[in-house]
Amino acid sequence: MTLPYLAIVLLILVTVYSAAATFRSPEKERSSWIFPSGANKWVRRLIVLFTLAIVLGAVLWFLAASRSSTPRPLKIIVPQDYSGWVRVDFGVKDAPALPIESGEMLARIPADGRIKTSSPQQFGLSKDSYLFQSAAGLRPIPYSGANRMIWGKIDGESSGASGKQTYEEFFVGNEQQYRDAVRGTKSSSTP
Amino acid sequence: MVPFVIYFVTGIVTALHVGSLLVVALYGIPVSPLEVVALAGSFCLLLAAYVTLYRPRAAAKIALIATFILWSFYGPAIAGRIRAGSLKPAPISRDDGRSPTFAAVDQPA
Repeated sequence: MTLPYLAIVLLILVTVYSAAATFRSPEKERSSWIFPSGANKWVRRLIVLFTLAIVLGAVLWFLAASRSSTPRPLKIIVPQDYSGWVRVDFGVKDAPALPIESGEMLARIPADGRIKTSSPQQFGLSKDSYLFQSAAGLRPIPYSGANRMIWGKIDGESSGASGKQTYEEFFVGNEQQYRDAVRGTKSSSTP
Repeated sequence: MVPFVIYFVTGIVTALHVGSLLVVALYGIPVSPLEVVALAGSFCLLLAAYVTLYRPRAAAKIALIATFILWSFYGPAIAGRIRAGSLKPAPISRDDGRSPTFAAVDQPA
């Protein structure tokens, strides 16, 4: 949160400093600690070492972070022709963990559209997939485009008796069904 | 050493800030072209930091141009923030756990 403010303060400082250094009169161009005329050999070497250390550190950090925090994609399987809200509650004590198949967490949504699991929700750069379960097998649910059938997806957090829980919620259906669902729930929740 | 530190730290901090705003592009969310321009400004500042070790005046000119590039992003952002600060936030409706309130945000056009 402080990063934007720090960036603005430093930007003001650099603007003033670089303007002063650029428009300084050549007669007064004497080397000083604030306006040096260059850096000596040792300072340059020190800066080269400093840069190498930073680049190396950044590369190592990136490699370590990408290894330890690669999230598992979530495969959500919805019953054929299901239409309505789907909610997956994560981190629920005593609930079964989601099975893992081919490196993906598998969430089979029951007919009521709600599933609870003790598995934690995974955040990060992973692509979740949404599928309909039919007699013929799995069929992908369009996530975007003209035939889009996934709407209003949110990741939320709620506090319950068993502590903080996270959940993922979205609507499955066509645009009209989604509009009707939103309108219906809004009017029913109005006092 | 002083100009190197000033240019380098500012380049890193602005690059981190603008980079964090640009990360959403990975999720397919469109980003402002000004953010991309500002990131280029941050790299110019890092370049100026190294040039200042050899040619301080040339580095100062590069840094000044870089700051103009960065202000093209931060200027409108600050103005927008000041304008938005005078507006009252909308009341948040009750969340009944089924989230139609939040879902309404993603209503189709």
